[in-house]
Amino acid sequence: MAEQCSKSLSGLLGGLAQLIYYHSPGITEQMLKDQLYPDLSQQDFKVLLEKMAGILRSITSADMDFNQLEAFLTAQTKKQKGITLEQAAVLTKFWKIHKVKIRESLINQSKWENCLRNLSWRVDLKSQSRHLDQINTPVAIVEFELGKNDQESEFLCLELDETKVNQLLKKLTEIEESIGTLSYTN
Amino acid sequence: MERCNFHLERGYIEGAGPRPGRAEALLLSLSDMAGAPVYLGAGWAGFDSTVESISKLPKDLFAEVCQQIMLHLQCKSPGVNTFELAERLQTAGVELDLEATKELVHVISLFFRSAAQSNMSAEEFVVKLADSSSKWSKHALQVIRHVWTEQGKLIVTPGDAKHMLTVGQLVDLQWKLGMAVSSDSCRSLNHPYVTMMLKVADPTGEIISRSFEMTIPQFQNFLKQFREVATVLEMV
Repeated sequence: MAEQCSKSLSGLLGGLAQLIYYHSPGITEQMLKDQLYPDLSQQDFKVLLEKMAGILRSITSADMDFNQLEAFLTAQTKKQKGITLEQAAVLTKFWKIHKVKIRESLINQSKWENCLRNLSWRVDLKSQSRHLDQINTPVAIVEFELGKNDQESEFLCLELDETKVNQLLKKLTEIEESIGTLSYTN
Repeated sequence: MERCNFHLERGYIEGAGPRPGRAEALLLSLSDMAGAPVYLGAGWAGFDSTVESISKLPKDLFAEVCQQIMLHLQCKSPGVNTFELAERLQTAGVELDLEATKELVHVISLFFRSAAQSNMSAEEFVVKLADSSSKWSKHALQVIRHVWTEQGKLIVTPGDAKHMLTVGQLVDLQWKLGMAVSSDSCRSLNHPYVTMMLKVADPTGEIISRSFEMTIPQFQNFLKQFREVATVLEMV
């Protein structure tokens, strides 16, 4: 019985993740009820769903590490109308599997600027006209594919000679150094 | 003497023509080819005289001009060498100076581009042209019908050409390292990211700005790619 409860809860949490974080099409609350808790009353299911969704939100919003999670869940088990120890175990297992993916989807949800979808490049030999000496200068052609959300990509094509590339690299190295000075917990 | 820069492998669509204002007026007239009565703004007199010039060209020479323009619009050549063309026309006894030659080439290119965008058949195209001016000669229309039937479909329209933006020069690069602390869906985001702002000059001199964001791993890949570019440039 307990095992069945655990399986159903595991399924419910997975379904909630699809619904709230991954935005998978086709998943609805009713579907979850029909598949996982067919014998539960509509009211009881709603209570369970809201309780679990609330707990999930707290966990994901704080991006809890496993120490914080343990403390949080233990507190929940001690509450009136809280969760059982089995449920706490299921939640812990769920977070182990989904933590990184959910965080990624939350980061993407708050990304509203253009992002670099692709970068391609090649190096050409550029020759000058027949009226001047044939000077073969190598030049890089770089194509940036930019886009945001579901919008179609925009392509930006740049021509960079060796000098420009080196100037660019200098700036990129500055950025790299700046990143090195960052200390953050992930 | 005109300088020509030829890029290997890929063709590039030229930027704006010699006189954008006039080109727009002509294009307005062409876009109405789809049906509505033609409105021609400033440049009406010029339009008729350009058609007259076209009609005066010897048939085979005009066919060659159309061919060159087609190659350019199909992105198989970087452009029409109008200087050379003007020389050839003058040798053949045609009284067109360099400016008039450029205008001629420009107008024909506009016709072809517009017809390609509206997906016109050769018949439709020729009918519309004939309607647009009384100065068209039978020969000129025949040439256009022939060229269009053979190669009209191969033109790269702006829709197809999304990948073939004119190549620009990098004018400036600015950057910012940011940290997303919190969002409405996550109070503890702690997400560092790099934002870049590129200022690019296209061949007409117009400067456009584009900014974009990268995650740290994406930036590291970006850096790696440019290091590779630098290495290859050194080796060539």
